[in-house]
Amino acid sequence: MKRLPIQGRTLGLLAVLLPLLGLFVYVAVRSGPLAPVPVTLATVEEHTLSPALFGIGTVEARYRYRIGPTVAGRVKRLEVQVGDRVRAGQLLGEMEPVDLEARLLAQAAALKRARAQLREAEAAHAYARSQALRYEKLLAAHTVSEEVVAGKRQERLLTGAALDGAREELVRVGAEQEALQAQRDNLQLVAPAAGLVTLRGADPGTTVVAGQAVVELIDTNSLWINVRFNQTEAQGLRAALPAGIVLRSRAGQRLAGQVLRVEPLADQVTEETLAKVSFARLPDPLPPLGELAEVTVSLPGLPSAPVIPNAAIQRVKGRLGVWQVSGGDLRFTPVELGVAGLDGRVQVRVGLRSGDRIVVYSARALSARSRITPVERLSGAGS
Amino acid sequence: MSGKGIRIEGLTKRYGRGDTAVDALKGVDMQVAPGEVVGLIGPSGSGKSTLLKCLGAVIEPTAGRMILGDEVIYDDGWRVGDLRALRRDRIGFVFQAPYLIPFLDVTDNVALLPMLAGQPNAESRRRALELLQGLDVQHRARAMPSQLSGGEQQRVAIARGLVNRPPVILADEPTAPLDSERALGVMRILNRMARRFETAIIVVTHDEKIIPTFRRIYHIRDGVTYEEAGQGRGFD
Amino acid sequence: MISLAGRDILHAWGKFVFTGIGLGLLIGVTLTMAGVYRGMVDDARVLLDNSGADLWVVQRDTLGPYAESSSLHDDVWRGVRGLPGVARVANVTYLTMQVRQGERDVRAMVTGITAGEPGLPGWPPRLVAGRQITRGHFEAVADVASGFKLGERIQIRRNAYRVVGLTRRMVSSSGDPMVFIPLRDAQEAQFLKDNEAIRQERRRTADNPAFNRPGVPGLLDAVINSQSSNPYVNAVLVQLAPGHAAATVADSIRRWKRLTVYTRPQMEEILVGKLIATSARQIGMFLVILAIVSAAIVAFIIYTLTLGKIREIAVLKLIGTRNRTIAALILQQAIALGVIGFAVGKITATFWAPVFPKYVLLLPLDSVIGFGAVVVICVLASVIAIRAALKVDPAEAIGG
Repeated sequence: MKRLPIQGRTLGLLAVLLPLLGLFVYVAVRSGPLAPVPVTLATVEEHTLSPALFGIGTVEARYRYRIGPTVAGRVKRLEVQVGDRVRAGQLLGEMEPVDLEARLLAQAAALKRARAQLREAEAAHAYARSQALRYEKLLAAHTVSEEVVAGKRQERLLTGAALDGAREELVRVGAEQEALQAQRDNLQLVAPAAGLVTLRGADPGTTVVAGQAVVELIDTNSLWINVRFNQTEAQGLRAALPAGIVLRSRAGQRLAGQVLRVEPLADQVTEETLAKVSFARLPDPLPPLGELAEVTVSLPGLPSAPVIPNAAIQRVKGRLGVWQVSGGDLRFTPVELGVAGLDGRVQVRVGLRSGDRIVVYSARALSARSRITPVERLSGAGS
Repeated sequence: MSGKGIRIEGLTKRYGRGDTAVDALKGVDMQVAPGEVVGLIGPSGSGKSTLLKCLGAVIEPTAGRMILGDEVIYDDGWRVGDLRALRRDRIGFVFQAPYLIPFLDVTDNVALLPMLAGQPNAESRRRALELLQGLDVQHRARAMPSQLSGGEQQRVAIARGLVNRPPVILADEPTAPLDSERALGVMRILNRMARRFETAIIVVTHDEKIIPTFRRIYHIRDGVTYEEAGQGRGFD
Repeated sequence: MISLAGRDILHAWGKFVFTGIGLGLLIGVTLTMAGVYRGMVDDARVLLDNSGADLWVVQRDTLGPYAESSSLHDDVWRGVRGLPGVARVANVTYLTMQVRQGERDVRAMVTGITAGEPGLPGWPPRLVAGRQITRGHFEAVADVASGFKLGERIQIRRNAYRVVGLTRRMVSSSGDPMVFIPLRDAQEAQFLKDNEAIRQERRRTADNPAFNRPGVPGLLDAVINSQSSNPYVNAVLVQLAPGHAAATVADSIRRWKRLTVYTRPQMEEILVGKLIATSARQIGMFLVILAIVSAAIVAFIIYTLTLGKIREIAVLKLIGTRNRTIAALILQQAIALGVIGFAVGKITATFWAPVFPKYVLLLPLDSVIGFGAVVVICVLASVIAIRAALKVDPAEAIGG
């Protein structure tokens, strides 16, 4: 009974010091290099894998018409606006003829004059021929001298040449008029095919140079997507594969399509393979040209094989492999990987069998000597 | 453990040097036999404290002899080597205030001295308990000093002074804070213990209540002692 | 022999333990401070470890890519790949920027990683959840420190990315969480700031008569196109083939490609020696001051405890206690105080370390050194108290 005060003291001290000691030991063991590494494990499973390729591209039109004048000139009128649908052969607008009409009039006058000249030459030639004929007869009758007849013959030849010249001049002037006519016809901007106006490059009154597009048309039925695939991720890409298209403006909506062709030329600067993917059915409303699209090309399913999550793959001392757990031991197993799916699973060709246990996630770097504690989920990893 | 009491002859203590030198003790003679309790009485400044310190081997006297039991402690400037061990083993102290070590319980306060001298703990405690029993405080053996009454504390202090069976115990105003009944009680115990352990006890006091209990009294005045027979009969 | 120190502690354990806890908190701060420094160094190291590279090829005469900006053409890697001893190369971009998620804004080091398979240099070497990036665009692997969750959509500059994987301890040398995205996206993100900026840039170009010539219709488009592409990366990470020395391969890259190359030790020297040197010295100064303050506090505490016992010490001396015993009493108490303080400090440091916004790394070796230092400090601190105790005159006990 008399001992109690001391014991109370001792107990009190122990009550403080023992938890302190316990905490200290806990802290020393649970943190730092002595602590085991929490890991999550997975079992290698036989699984079929539907590999897929992922690329991004832009909506483009296969046929695109840039319509403009062949010579520099001023736009006179433009009938269509951006977004209008046009028929083949529809008049879209016209260029200002400027002095073309006057030149046509002048040309008409010149034509008339050429005709008149032709008639004059014809008349002169007919007269010279008849004169020559008469003097020939007279020469035969020896009523005129040889010399006079020679003069008449030369006259006939001269007027014949003049007539030829007048005829050619008429042809020339006629051709010139036709050329002017053609030019005037070309002032009309005509749709070469049915399509959608995508650009109105100049308004009436604007002067444009030859070759500059005044109106741009696309063939809406020819919309496709120009897709770029990373070369390392383009294995198995070929025409006619089904593709899923997600337009940027319609993020939740997956449109069907297929690979139309893989471009024979790759982009060697960006190290990308190009391919065209067409829509199975054109979306309505039409996506704007140039809109970004994510394209997932599904490759044919592969036969069942062992698959692992790609998070398990590590490179240790230059070798690709996974940390395998067998009988509580940890060892690094080099693997040879096959095809990877977009869902993060990778086929293993060599190195693992189905049923093997491997480390997927680890809180710290592992080594063959690491102690591990398998956990359901690493702390802080969220849901 | 008893010796032949304590004897001092011509003990002189000079403080300072040359012109400013002061002689606190001027040749004190004193003798206390084993089992005897003597009083040492003197006014302030009489050299009483200095004498006590010399007796307690805390300071060295300038000249004179001191013999403790059969061992010469001082002899005209010579002294034994280890005063500390001497204090520990051969002199018991009892103070005005008990000055118990507050963080040791009663037993260990008493047992501390033999422990410090290297005795095994169990043996030291056994001796302490024995003493405490003799002083009638064994029931507080595990208590801390702060839990004791003044009289009990003083008895524990006496036990501590006795534990090494020293030939001499120096008691400095041991009864000052106590009422007369308790003061007489302490004196009774001192007398009993002196006889039982054959110890010479010098009680420094100016407590009127207990002066009548001494058989022999040394008065000290101006550094000189005068012996006087007391009225007391020593609680026979 | 009886332990006077132990008995004294037992007697006044409340005072003693609380003093110890107070001292412990101070020691905890000191340990944490050391942990902050170690954390900074570790941040630099994990950045290098996680990049998985043996060599860093950067712009000539720069300290890139972490300590200084560096830019290389993104086809430089082809030439590097062909050199003997090079097993794998990968382009990489690093840019610290704001990453938005809903209403939140997180400062992160966005890392562009070359398309390929896990294990390439630059790729996050370990995940704690989710999967590695499989698509060439718009997927991200983020560090848990960013607070992003799996499946969340995050916005980096103009594009939204889906978080498909999470990492831990993937941070920049300044402790910002890393967010890994495909290289192409990262290049674009580095260059294309926001829509408004792009539009302004285009307008500026269009206003420049040199680029917008009436007679040359395609010129403006070509100029804008070339302006808005970014064929640059910050560094090329190189992994060596087995059996090739880093220094040799680095030399041949320097010599033949005329680029600056850093090996792992050089990179560490740059990060630890240059990037965080000032902060490290700052913390070092703090540590020294904390050590001095701790020492002073221990000294004060021990001294006060001793002064409180001066009477007892005088008695002890009078009754013949050796100086050694009294010194041991004080010394043992000082060390006991230090031990309690150290335990409390270690515990508190460990528990509050994860709460710190930046990484606090408590190395066991630091703890051992810290323990040694605490004991030494306590011993030194008790010297004053011991001197005071030894000076006590045993005569004081005799009312004199």
